[in-house]
Amino acid sequence: MLRLARRINERLHRYMAVPALALFAVFFVTPLVKGIRISLTDWNGLAPDYHYVGLSNFIEFFHDDRAIHALKVTLTFGLISPVLLCAAGLLYALLLDNRLRGRGAVRTFVYLPAIISPLIMGYVWLLLLNSENGALLEVLKIFGRESVYRDWLGTPDEALWVIIAVNLWQFVGYAMIIFLAGLQGISADVLEAAKVDGAGYWTSVRRIVAPLLMPAIRINVITNLIGSLGVFDVITALTDGGPGYSTESMSIYIMRSSFNGHTGYATAVAVLMFLVILIPVSVALRLMKQADQDG
Amino acid sequence: MRKTPLAKTPLYALMILMALVSLIPFYMLLFTALTPSSISLADSRLLLRHFEWGNLAAAWRESKLGGAMTNSSILMGGSVLLSVLVSAGAGYVFARVNTWYNRILFNVLLFSMMIPGVINTVPLYSLMKAIHGINTHWAMILLLATGFIPQSVFLYANFIRGLSREIEESAVIDGCTLFEAFWRISFPLLLPITSTLIILNAIAAWNNYAQSVFFLQSQELQTVPLAISRFVQTYGADYTKMASAALIGMLPAVIIYFVFQRFFVKGISAGAVKG
Repeated sequence: MLRLARRINERLHRYMAVPALALFAVFFVTPLVKGIRISLTDWNGLAPDYHYVGLSNFIEFFHDDRAIHALKVTLTFGLISPVLLCAAGLLYALLLDNRLRGRGAVRTFVYLPAIISPLIMGYVWLLLLNSENGALLEVLKIFGRESVYRDWLGTPDEALWVIIAVNLWQFVGYAMIIFLAGLQGISADVLEAAKVDGAGYWTSVRRIVAPLLMPAIRINVITNLIGSLGVFDVITALTDGGPGYSTESMSIYIMRSSFNGHTGYATAVAVLMFLVILIPVSVALRLMKQADQDG
Repeated sequence: MRKTPLAKTPLYALMILMALVSLIPFYMLLFTALTPSSISLADSRLLLRHFEWGNLAAAWRESKLGGAMTNSSILMGGSVLLSVLVSAGAGYVFARVNTWYNRILFNVLLFSMMIPGVINTVPLYSLMKAIHGINTHWAMILLLATGFIPQSVFLYANFIRGLSREIEESAVIDGCTLFEAFWRISFPLLLPITSTLIILNAIAAWNNYAQSVFFLQSQELQTVPLAISRFVQTYGADYTKMASAALIGMLPAVIIYFVFQRFFVKGISAGAVKG
């Protein structure tokens, strides 16, 4: 008995992945597999019985204007946001990489919004922008400029841009910190040498900094693509998909459809959403790999 | 030497602008939370000088924020502890036991980070119902911890690969099993990455909304984001109370951030340098 215990103990380290993998299997893989099965049915989420309907849920998606609109919102937000976040984050990082007094404090302030729930930050912006007694309107009144104010969040074509801007404001610090970490890995000697050889600021940024920054760019592009294409909280807080369903992303559309008893259909949309994330991420990875080899 | 400060002036101006852009919304939050509702921004000339501390108390009472903070703390503590323990062990296996199935499992974990939570929500709901996990702390802890596992395992495995095997092996010579050697000797050496993960996961748990809105529907179990959202959703928008509740509700995250900033930045950027 004792020898058996000893033998188990000797091999125990090999099984230390079991608890993590068990959790992952139960709370991630099982629902995922089940979800793919549900996506082929007409299940309403409650009834004990349901029928397999083949791919008709997927076909229905492409015949529903509201669904196509949600796809467009997801792609607009999900492809524009990462570009803006990376560009602004890089500019912020390049600026704060200079030896400036107080840059540590500014870094902390810029990153601060990123640690707070997007839901709450969304509400704070609602407080600033709302048309009843929003702070922006009040401030404009003080300066007699209230004509500048428009109810952007209440205007279908403009609300999504406000959401993009708020999201940029909240998460620019995240992109900045990753770029700063990447910039710290670049030695000052190399840059000094380039300067001696007559390279200007932008030349050295393009020729030396950019290639060395590739890991930071990669992690920024990929995490921001995944986060932005799956956007949920910030839209919930700012417009909840409105006005009408003009800012309804796929994730919000999925939630609504499943609450309305279209569980099979909602799950099918979720499976499609996975492709909507997977394709841009794969393309981005491939492009960056190419850039890596060319550079 | 004389030229430098002049050349840097525009940079300083930009830097101040950046800080203001990030901070002004927080100032407005503070203003709305603390100023009596009878006094407008114009009355006070944008300055925070009238304090109505009762706003905070009223928001606290009405949103049952005390209970929500307790719930969020339980979920945060449980999910952070669980995710760190199981991920450290798994990270060790993936770093040290190089078999074909471990390589596959590791890649599956990495790949899963691409799948957003919302995809699983509907089938998860029936699973949670089946295991009687709706409106319970334990099921939500398991769920949150599972969400943290892929990234935590990834960071642990990377970190453990950088540690030398010799320390573990010499402990084995002294009569330890590798299992004991890992927890007694290597795990304490993982403190930097453990602190990082504690903070990253704690903040994520504190802020979680997309899952808790589904699985914690009873009011006794509401978390901080749910409690705050009630002021915007259920009661029509009551901005003063929302701001007061938000101010209190974000405080723990802000404190964690300021106290552990060093680890936080390290964790966020852990993958950025190595790739």
